[in-house]
Amino acid sequence: MREKLTNPDHVRTWPGTIPVEHVYTVGVAGEAFLRAIKERGRLVAVGCPGCGTDYLPPRLYCERCFEKTGEVREVEARGTVDTFTVAHRDLEGHPLEKPQVYAFVRIDGTGGGLVHRLGEVDPDDVHIGMEVQAVFLPPAQRTGSILDIVNFKPAE
Amino acid sequence: MPERVAIVGVGYSDIRSITPGLSYKEMMYEAAVRAYEDAGVNPRKDVDSFISVSEDFWEGTSIFDEYIPDQLGAALRPVHTVSGDGIHGLACAAMLIHTGRARVVVVEGHSKHSDMRTPAHIHNFAYDPIYHRPLGAHPHHLAGLEMTRFLFESGNTREHCALVVKKNMANALLNPRAVYGARVSLRDVLEAPPTFSPLGELDIARPADGGFVMVLAGESVAGDLAGDPIWIAGYGWCTETPAIDSRLWGEAIYAQLAAKQAYRMAGITDPFRELDFAEVDDSFSYKELEHLEALGICRHGEAGGWLEDGLTLPGGDFPVNVSGGSLGGGHLLEATGLHRVHEVVLQLRGQAGENQLPDVERGLAQSWRNLPTTTGCVVILERA
Repeated sequence: MREKLTNPDHVRTWPGTIPVEHVYTVGVAGEAFLRAIKERGRLVAVGCPGCGTDYLPPRLYCERCFEKTGEVREVEARGTVDTFTVAHRDLEGHPLEKPQVYAFVRIDGTGGGLVHRLGEVDPDDVHIGMEVQAVFLPPAQRTGSILDIVNFKPAE
Repeated sequence: MPERVAIVGVGYSDIRSITPGLSYKEMMYEAAVRAYEDAGVNPRKDVDSFISVSEDFWEGTSIFDEYIPDQLGAALRPVHTVSGDGIHGLACAAMLIHTGRARVVVVEGHSKHSDMRTPAHIHNFAYDPIYHRPLGAHPHHLAGLEMTRFLFESGNTREHCALVVKKNMANALLNPRAVYGARVSLRDVLEAPPTFSPLGELDIARPADGGFVMVLAGESVAGDLAGDPIWIAGYGWCTETPAIDSRLWGEAIYAQLAAKQAYRMAGITDPFRELDFAEVDDSFSYKELEHLEALGICRHGEAGGWLEDGLTLPGGDFPVNVSGGSLGGGHLLEATGLHRVHEVVLQLRGQAGENQLPDVERGLAQSWRNLPTTTGCVVILERA
């Protein structure tokens, strides 16, 4: 039989940390997407010539039929709210001073979409089917990242 | 026909919200000793192969599979790790026996969640690094998104989800292995602090520490062992897609397809009539409803009504998560599937104590690999 501790002060732990740093190669399709955001303030999608499945963000291959996809095409950075949530906690789990709405926005004329923040809207007014548009950073401030989109806001 | 396979021994390490007194190795040892005692096997002589399920990041150790053998009695023996849920590991163990490569196989899964100082950051690291993670949101926001869409498409309600919490936490009160048993009212759940609306604080299964070891044996040797065998009638697993832009938000297709494989293997065509009860993933309240519908136990949109009518209560026509599930019993990371399997085994053996259901012959255990995955496993277990 093993002895079990009854005094928590006698428990020993050893702290460990790992500095996890990484770069993620965005790839051919990812580069087309992030360049369109950075250079033109637009989004790009791609269709599968085999089965017609449509992707945004674009991909080099189709997950449904495994064909190589075709040429990317530019689309308007507008869409509809497919689903949404109001976050009341930050990444640490602490209460947010101001709740933040996140949504999956299905981009018009494509089969895909993005999870992103919704802004310039009262959380109570957000609904499925709501039409929204992307708000981009000024061109000079863009770095070629999903964060070049500040958020989505109700469509004008 | 491949040889039939049974779970002939089960053991668990006591499930607790924190386990400061034991290292993860000691927890695994505790579960292993109980399982080997239950099955009547000596791991150093009688077990042909060992399988563990674990994730390096949850463990805080790279190449964690190298840290598995000693506490299971598996040093100098065939051993491998499956980076997946416990039921993935269970299926691999069954297949090793089906192929004739092994006669007795051990599968292990555990959670030492309380050793993690930054669990949300580790969890967030599972999200797409280019398109999703940069948002810096807490990983549970994805559950809020799924829940909104699931309720919208299925017609189930926020109140139905709260009923899941009420049921499972009450069930847990009768289960000595469950850590988060409580008698909560619908109002308690609905008025709990919001987290990722419509999710409230009580809709999210809280983590716990604990682990399971199970001994599997083929029919040719199961009879010679001491353990009360529970037979594996079918199993399946499936991953939909990792991409958030092409997955379905309102349906658990992974569970539907995993169940289809398991039902085919078990010869089940009408799961509601041919199964007596189920332990399904309830990591978030809405998931129990979504999974019940995906498993074909009820039709799309019916799960909430079933709960309202008491069908999934312990005394109902189709009890679900009588053990308390993860909401009442704690979420055990990759051991969550084995947690569900363990409770099904105890029910079928008649060893479920105050939670025991009368006359149960066949049950289902289902797992989901939690956010952000679309991966699920199903196993059908039977008494004879």
